[in-house]
Amino acid sequence: MNLKKATAGQLAREYREGTATVSEVISGVFEEIERRDPELKSFLRTRKDEAMEEARAADRAFAENEPVGPLAGIPLAVKDNLHIRGERTTCGSRILEDYVPTYSSTAVDRLRKAGAIVIGKTNMDEFAMGSSTENSAFFVTRNPHDIERVPGGSSGGSAAAVSAGLVPVALGSDTGGSIRQPASFCGVVGLKPTYGRISRYGLVAFGSSLDQIGPFSRSVEDAARLLDCMAGFDPMDSTSADVPTSNWSGELDRPVKGMKVGVPKEYFVDGMDSGVREKVRAGIETLEGLGCEIRELSLPHTPYAIATYYLICTAEASSNLARYDGVRYGLRVPGKTLQSMYRQTRMAGFGPEVKRRILLGTYALSAGYYDAYYLKAQKVRTLVLQDFQTAFETVDLLVTPTTPTTAFRVGENTDDPLAMYLNDIFTTTCNLAGLPGISVPCGKSQDNLPVGMQLIGNHFEEGKVLRAAHHFEQAGGFRG
Amino acid sequence: MKISATEVAYVAQLANLDVADGEREELASQLTRIVQYVEQLETLDTDAVEPTAQVVAREPHAEREDRVQTRDGSSVAAETVGLFRVPKVIGER
Repeated sequence: MNLKKATAGQLAREYREGTATVSEVISGVFEEIERRDPELKSFLRTRKDEAMEEARAADRAFAENEPVGPLAGIPLAVKDNLHIRGERTTCGSRILEDYVPTYSSTAVDRLRKAGAIVIGKTNMDEFAMGSSTENSAFFVTRNPHDIERVPGGSSGGSAAAVSAGLVPVALGSDTGGSIRQPASFCGVVGLKPTYGRISRYGLVAFGSSLDQIGPFSRSVEDAARLLDCMAGFDPMDSTSADVPTSNWSGELDRPVKGMKVGVPKEYFVDGMDSGVREKVRAGIETLEGLGCEIRELSLPHTPYAIATYYLICTAEASSNLARYDGVRYGLRVPGKTLQSMYRQTRMAGFGPEVKRRILLGTYALSAGYYDAYYLKAQKVRTLVLQDFQTAFETVDLLVTPTTPTTAFRVGENTDDPLAMYLNDIFTTTCNLAGLPGISVPCGKSQDNLPVGMQLIGNHFEEGKVLRAAHHFEQAGGFRG
Repeated sequence: MKISATEVAYVAQLANLDVADGEREELASQLTRIVQYVEQLETLDTDAVEPTAQVVAREPHAEREDRVQTRDGSSVAAETVGLFRVPKVIGER
């Protein structure tokens, strides 16, 4: 079989049956990275020696019939805002260029305990602020479907690596769409679980009330497998939810017939690509063909989501990023006074988009503007949440396009921050309301670029989201 | 609301950022455009709406008995005296 396009599930079977060794798969991964990644630039750093060592250990375990984890020998790429103890986390920023964390993130830790082998850290928009991975302080990542185009962002490196067949699965983080939007642009599966479902311990904070970690994969089943291993309460994250987890990957085949799926009219707006509209409409028909009951409905505050999101995330970011002052972390530019050290360090260490967002957030929180901007946004957040609560009284799931357009060209939106923000129009609502959302491939547009369909569920109902996505994938033959 | 270059300088100072003179005008116009966009929220009546700071808040938050946990440090000082070494941060303003 072609190991390059194998899913984690297929690799696990090959290992069990002894038809492939972990060492040959991992070494194949690095050969492929050497061949493709000079052009794609999805990885910031790889860890070949460590990964090969871990592969040999996994092969010994398989050979000696020792008990192995559910992800034994599965190659995994990790967004560079998730800590691995003793290995650099740059967050795509000069300010953390040489930062080595002294602890590991719970999410990565749990996947490694399940046997996953971390191949390397992937490129991202600096501090996860961006929708194209062009804001990385290091380089721009390219979309494997068309190298003149962006992979989306902020988890663009992870999406591109999975899409190109470099790795079967990867981790990203999603504050306003940073998993689902690049998944859509790159034609892969991307899941943002419910806020609190996966511990954020060891994830570099951006918008703390919005951030959530999640997987990229080429099949819904693989996304479910990763969620199985990562989900669950963690005392190290005070917002981690102490709710029951599930064996999501084992429940995908349960029927979807009779599931009520809402189509919010506000997500089919003027100005969206006709190709996106057409493919998502066709996707909705596929869901109907699977026995889902489709209902049109309204989420009236959707048009206010971007404004609300950009006030809340920048306010939280300005507070979270205050810690990068040259005292404790990474870069330090010496100054004559303490104040000048702070300013010169932050001036040299942060890129333009990060500075812009810190300024906007500081402005929204400053005396005289707090009520008009930040408090107002928190109130509208309540209205956005209430829209969803009302909808989920009558439907199980919502279906929407993930993005209004397919992948745009490198450089197309870099001069216009607001135009870049509007890319997140269909994804920020999930973060504001804390809901689980998945982007699944639903075909290609006229210009041969992937289109993503988003399924949104109620809090902690990842099971329904994954199940519907899995049946949809099987029915449409959309596996990447 | 229009944000002026002077306001950019003031907010930059609050945020401990140095913004070069040449950058202020451009930032002012970019921020003005974003702020004018977000001002669409003013059209919504939210007088009777409670703010949401956090969704899926589980009450009470995870709490545990406070206990000291040791962790390896990354600074040279940590290796010798078990402390982190930082520059002087008090006594100046």
